[in-house]
Amino acid sequence: MPSRDRPRALYGLALICLCLAGCQARSVWLFHPHGAVAAAEFHYTVIDFAIMILIVGPLLVATALIIVRYRKGRNARYDPHFKKSRVLEALMWGVPIATVGVLTYFSYQAVYLADPYDPTAIPRSLAEKSRPPPTAGRTSHFAAYPRSNGTVRHGPQVDVNVITTDWQWVFIYPRTGITTVDRLVVPVDTPVHFRLTSATVVNDFLIPELVGEIDIMPGMRTKLAMIASRPGNYRGYSANFSGGGFSWMGFTTTVVSRRAYRAWTRKAARAPDRMTYAAFDKIAKPTINLAEKPMYFSRTQKGLFDHVIRRVLTGRVYETPLRMTENMTKPLYVKVLH
Amino acid sequence: MSGQEAIREQGLWDRKDVHHDKIGTHTLGFWLYMLSDSMVYAALFGASVVLGHRMNAAGGPMGATVLHPLSAYWETLLLLASGLAYGLALQGLKRGRKALVLAWMTVAFLLGAGFAALSVHTLLALIARGITPERSGYLSADLALIVYHALHIGLGLVWFLVMMVQVAVFGFHPNVVYRLLNLKLFWFFQSFVWVLVFSFTYLRGVLI
Amino acid sequence: MFVHLQGSWNPIYGRLSLHEIPFKTQIIQGAFFFVVLTALAVLTAITYYKKWRYLWEEWLTSLDHKKIGVMYIVLGLVMLFRGFIDAVMIRSQQVMAIGPHSAGYLGALHGYLPPYHFDQIYSSHGTIMILFAITPILTGLMAIMVPLQIGARDLAFPYLNALTFYLTAAGAALVMVSLFVGDFSHAGWVGLIPLTELPYSPDVGTDYWMWAVQLSGIGSTLSSVNLIATIIKMRAPGMGWNEVPIFTWTALSTSVIGVTAFPVLSAALFMLAADRYLGTHFFTASFGGDLMFYTDLFWIWGHPEVYFVVLPAFGIISEVIPTFSEKALFGYTSMAVAALAIAGLSWMVWLHHFFTMGAGPGVNLFYGAATMLVGVPTGVKAFNWALTLYRGRLRFDAPMLWCLGAYALLLIGGLSGIMLAMPAVDYSVHNSAFLIAHFHSFMLLITFAAIAGYQFWFPKVFGFYLDDGAGRKAFWFFSAGTLAVFGSLYALGFMGMTRRLDYIPFVQWRPPLIAAEVGIFFYCVASYYLVRQLYVGLRDRKTRPAGADPWATTRSLEWLTWSPVPAYNYPVLPVVHGRDEWAWRREHEYVDRVPDHYFDIVMPKNTSVPLLLGALSFGLGFGLVWRIWWLCAVTIAGILLVVIIRSFDNHTEHTLSAALVAKLDGGEGGLPDAPGSVNPYPSPMPVPFFAKTGAVSRCADRVASTLREGVVAPGPLGKGARR
Repeated sequence: MPSRDRPRALYGLALICLCLAGCQARSVWLFHPHGAVAAAEFHYTVIDFAIMILIVGPLLVATALIIVRYRKGRNARYDPHFKKSRVLEALMWGVPIATVGVLTYFSYQAVYLADPYDPTAIPRSLAEKSRPPPTAGRTSHFAAYPRSNGTVRHGPQVDVNVITTDWQWVFIYPRTGITTVDRLVVPVDTPVHFRLTSATVVNDFLIPELVGEIDIMPGMRTKLAMIASRPGNYRGYSANFSGGGFSWMGFTTTVVSRRAYRAWTRKAARAPDRMTYAAFDKIAKPTINLAEKPMYFSRTQKGLFDHVIRRVLTGRVYETPLRMTENMTKPLYVKVLH
Repeated sequence: MSGQEAIREQGLWDRKDVHHDKIGTHTLGFWLYMLSDSMVYAALFGASVVLGHRMNAAGGPMGATVLHPLSAYWETLLLLASGLAYGLALQGLKRGRKALVLAWMTVAFLLGAGFAALSVHTLLALIARGITPERSGYLSADLALIVYHALHIGLGLVWFLVMMVQVAVFGFHPNVVYRLLNLKLFWFFQSFVWVLVFSFTYLRGVLI
Repeated sequence: MFVHLQGSWNPIYGRLSLHEIPFKTQIIQGAFFFVVLTALAVLTAITYYKKWRYLWEEWLTSLDHKKIGVMYIVLGLVMLFRGFIDAVMIRSQQVMAIGPHSAGYLGALHGYLPPYHFDQIYSSHGTIMILFAITPILTGLMAIMVPLQIGARDLAFPYLNALTFYLTAAGAALVMVSLFVGDFSHAGWVGLIPLTELPYSPDVGTDYWMWAVQLSGIGSTLSSVNLIATIIKMRAPGMGWNEVPIFTWTALSTSVIGVTAFPVLSAALFMLAADRYLGTHFFTASFGGDLMFYTDLFWIWGHPEVYFVVLPAFGIISEVIPTFSEKALFGYTSMAVAALAIAGLSWMVWLHHFFTMGAGPGVNLFYGAATMLVGVPTGVKAFNWALTLYRGRLRFDAPMLWCLGAYALLLIGGLSGIMLAMPAVDYSVHNSAFLIAHFHSFMLLITFAAIAGYQFWFPKVFGFYLDDGAGRKAFWFFSAGTLAVFGSLYALGFMGMTRRLDYIPFVQWRPPLIAAEVGIFFYCVASYYLVRQLYVGLRDRKTRPAGADPWATTRSLEWLTWSPVPAYNYPVLPVVHGRDEWAWRREHEYVDRVPDHYFDIVMPKNTSVPLLLGALSFGLGFGLVWRIWWLCAVTIAGILLVVIIRSFDNHTEHTLSAALVAKLDGGEGGLPDAPGSVNPYPSPMPVPFFAKTGAVSRCADRVASTLREGVVAPGPLGKGARR
C-alpha cells in the first residue's frame, strides 16, 4: 500500500476539524431544543439514529474485519463456491423489513407529535407541566402518544399570521392588531398558532431551536404550532430558497415571560405607523433588509392576511426587476425604508 | 451439466449465424417509445384532473361551456375511420399489393387530415370566443391535452406522406415494412388516446 | 408576444443584445479566457497533428457503441470538471462570507459573489453534476458494456444511440453557453416553483436551464429505450435471464426507470415552458394554477432519477467486488430482484421531498414508510457485497478501493436517508446542510462507483492499463475530501444551517465551513492524481498492454473478447453456458478466444446525421431561450427535413465478409499483415488520437497489429494466449 501514513494523517486532520465543530456544543441548535415540538423531533432523531446504527454499525465493523481477514496472501479460508445461502438471504431480507416495521411504528408516533398543523407534543407538554407524571423520568417510548382532539386548549394561546415577502417576514397579531416585520415576540409556555402564506414565492418557516419547518406558499395557507419553554432570543429564517435576498431573510424570535409579553403588546400597540393594505404593498416590494432592522405597526387593517391570499389568487405579483437578476456586479441591496 | 456435455450440445461459438430480428426489435423499440409518450400523456391527464376543479377555472368558463362534444363526435368518427382505413392498407401489405396499400393510405390520410382540420377549427373558434389557455389553469390543462394530441396527429400525417412516397419508391423493403408497422402502432395509439382526451375534456361537465 | 417581458425584444435578435454578454464581471472574464484558451489549444492541437479527419471519421460520425460511450464519458468528465469548479466556488464563497463583518470583493457585499451570481453557480452545479456529468458517464458505461456483456455486436439502435448522445451534448452546450451569453437559472437544479415563473425569473436563466434539461431528458428517455430493446432482444445464444450479468440487470432496471420517469420531467418542463412563453397558468399561484403540482411532477421524475443513477453504480460495484474477491457474486438472484425492487419502489416515494408541504400526517407517514422500504433492497445489496468479500481472496487494486469507498458511503448515506424518511425528523432538517450531506453521500457513492467502473473497464476498452498507484492515491485523497466536506455538512445541518446560502449570517458555523474548504483542497489533490493516472497510463501504454483478461480473475462475458475490443465486438457470437461465462470457460479451460469459423458481419455505416440533429437541437434551444422565433422555425423545419431525408437512405449498413473478419481476427491462417485488408470501419478502440495513424486505410493495419499484440502477449494468467 503506497503512502499509508499520509492518508491517515489526512483523516486525522479531517477528524480534528470535525471536533472543532463539535466544541461549540451549544451552537448545535438541533441538539438543544427549547420547545416541545423541536424536542419531539430531536427525540425521534435520536431513536431513528440509534436503531439504524444497530444495523449499520455492525455491518461496517464486520466488513472492515472481513477486509482485513481475507486480504489475499493471508491464507485465510478461501471458498469460491460460497455464493448462496438460503438462511443468510432470508435474514438479509428479513432483518431490514423488520427494522422498517419498527421504524415505521416510531415514525407513526412522531408524525402526530410533530404534526405542524396540530402537534400533540404541545398539549402533552402542557399536561406534563401542570401535572408531573407519577413516575420520574421518561415514559416508555412504546407508549402511544394521545392525539389531541384539537379543541381542548390549556390556557391562553397566541395567534400569529405570517406573510413572507421578497425578502422579509411580516407577523400579524390579529387579536391586538399589531404587525411586526422581521421580529417575532411570543410569551413563554404558551402555544403559538401560526397561519402562513406568501405574497411572492415559496419559503419555509424554521426556528431550529423551537419548531421544525413548514412550507409557506403563495395563494395558499399552511399552519404551524409551537411552544417555547425558555425565554430568550432564537433565530428564525427561511429554509427554502426564495431569491436574491434569501440569505438575509431572517428574523429574531424573542420569547419573553407572559407579563413581559403583555407589556410589549401595550407598547407595540402605540406604534405610530399603521399597517394598511397599501403599507403592505410597499413592504412587499423586493427588499433586502440587510441589518434586519425590525419594524412595528399598530392598528392593522382587518383581514390583511386573507386579502393577500385573495390578491395573489387574482394575479398580484411583486415582480423581481430584471436589472436585479441580470446585473451581477452593482450592489443591488436596497436598504429598507423606515 | 458438465462442461463437456454443454460444449458438445451447443459449442463455444454460435454455429447458426444468428441474426437479430430487425422488424421485431424496431417494433419493441417503438412500443417502448409509446410507453414513454404515454407517460407524457399521463402527466397531462394528471394536470387536467388536478387543475379540473372550479377553483382552477378562476371564475372563467369550464366544462360544457368551453367545448361541445358534438363536434368532437365527428372528429372521433373521422379518426377511428382513418385507423380502420390504415388497417385495411396493412392488409394490402400482407398480400404484397402496393396499389392497395397506397390507395387505403390515401384514404386514411384524408380522414386524418379531416380530423386535424376539425381540431384546428375547434381551437380557432375557442380563441375567437376569447377562451384561451391564458384565462385559467383549468383551460391551460384542457387545451394542452388537445394541442399535444393534435401535434401528434400532425406529425402522424407527415409520416403518412413520407411513407406513401417510400412505398411508391422502395416497395416493401424491410425498412419500409417496419416503419409501416410502427406507423400502425402510432396511429392506433393516437386513436386510443383521443378516446381518453374526448372523455376527459369534451365529455367532462356534460356526461361525467 | 404572448407574455409581458421585462427588457427589450426585437424580431431578429429576440431578447439577445450585446448587453447580455456579462463581460464586465471579472469572474466570467476569467472563465471565458480559460475556456477560449483551452478550446484554442485543443483545436490547434487537432489541426497541428492533422487529426480533423480522424476525429470526424473515427469518432464524431461513428455509430460504434464503444466510441459513443467513450464520447459520453468524455462529455461527462468535462462537465464534471465544470461542476467541480462550481463546487469550489460555492464552498469558497461560503467560507468567505461569514457574518456581517466579512469583507466583500469584486462588487459583492460579502465574499466575492453577489447573490444572483452565487445562485446561478449552485443551480448549475446541481444541474451539471446530476444531468450532465454523472448521467452521461453512467450512460456511457452502459452503452459500452451492456452489448459486450450480453454478447451483442452493438446496441439495438446504433443510430439512435448516437442521436441521444448528441442531444445530451446539445443540452450540455446550452449550459456552457449560458456562462457567457446571458445567465443561468438561479432557481436551483430542481427549478423551485414559482421562482422559475416569469415574474420572479425575468431573465433567460430559467429558459437555459429548462431547455438544456429538456434536451438531455429526451436523450435519456431514448437511450433507455435503446438499452431495454438491446437487453431484451440481443442477448447471445444461450443467455437466458438467469445468465444475464448483474451490471446488465441494473442497466435494465435503470432503463425501465428512464423510459417511464423522464417523460414526466419532459411534461413538467413543457408545462413550465407554456407558462413562461404562452402565459398559461399551470404552475402560477394565480388564476387557478397549482404550483405544488410542478413540485409533484418534478419529484415523480426526480426521485426515480436518483435511482436511475444509483442503480448502474450498484451494478459496477457488483462487478468489481467479485473480480477482486476472486469469487462469484453472493446472492445473484437477490441482487437482480433488489435492483428491480428499487426501480419499482422508486415510484412510490416522491412525496418525501416535500414532507413540509403541509400534507396530513397519514400521507406523510405512508410516504415515509415507503421510503424506508427502499432501504430494504438497498440493504440486501450491502449484505450481499459483504458476503461476497467473505471467504474471498481480496486484492486491493484501485477499482476495488473505490468500490469499498462507495460501499462505506452507501451505509452512511443510507443511515442518514432513513433518518430523513421519518417525517418528524425531516421537519427539522429538511432543506438543511444535513440533507445536502445526505444526498451528496449518494452522489459521491455514484461517483466512487463510476470512477471504479472507469478504472475497471479502461483496459478492456483501450487495451492498456491506467496507473494503479495514482488511482489509489486519488482514492485516499478523494475519501479524505469527502469525509471533510460532508462530515462538516452533516454537522452544519444539526447546527441549523440551511442550503443555498450565499451569505452565512452566523459566525458559529465558521469552523465546519473551514473544514469543508480543506476538504475541497483534498478533492483538488485527488483530481490531480486522477489526471496523472490517465497520463501515466497513456505514457506507458506500450509497456503495459492489457490482455483480454487484464485483471486475471474477471468473470462476465465482456472479458472473453480482445482488449481493445474490435469494432464488431465478437468475431462470432459466443454461446453462453453459465452465469459468469468467462469464469465458466476459464474453469473448464475453454480459454481460446479464436473461433474456428466465421460469418459475414453486418455493421452500421458511419453517419453525420445525429451530429447534425444535435446541432439543430442546440440551435432550437438557443432560439427558444432568446425567443428568436425565426431561428426556432428554421431549426424545427431543419430537424424534420433531415429526419425525412435520412429515412430515404436504405444503405445504412455495411457487410464485413467472413474472410476479412478471419484475417482481422487472426484466425484461419489469415494473419494480420495480410495485404490489402482495407476495411472502411475496422478500427477498434485503441487508436489514441496521438497514435501514428493517418488515413483510414492505415487503420486496418493498426487493428491488425493491435490484435496481434493482444494475441502474442499472454494475459496475466497466460490464458489469453492462442493455442
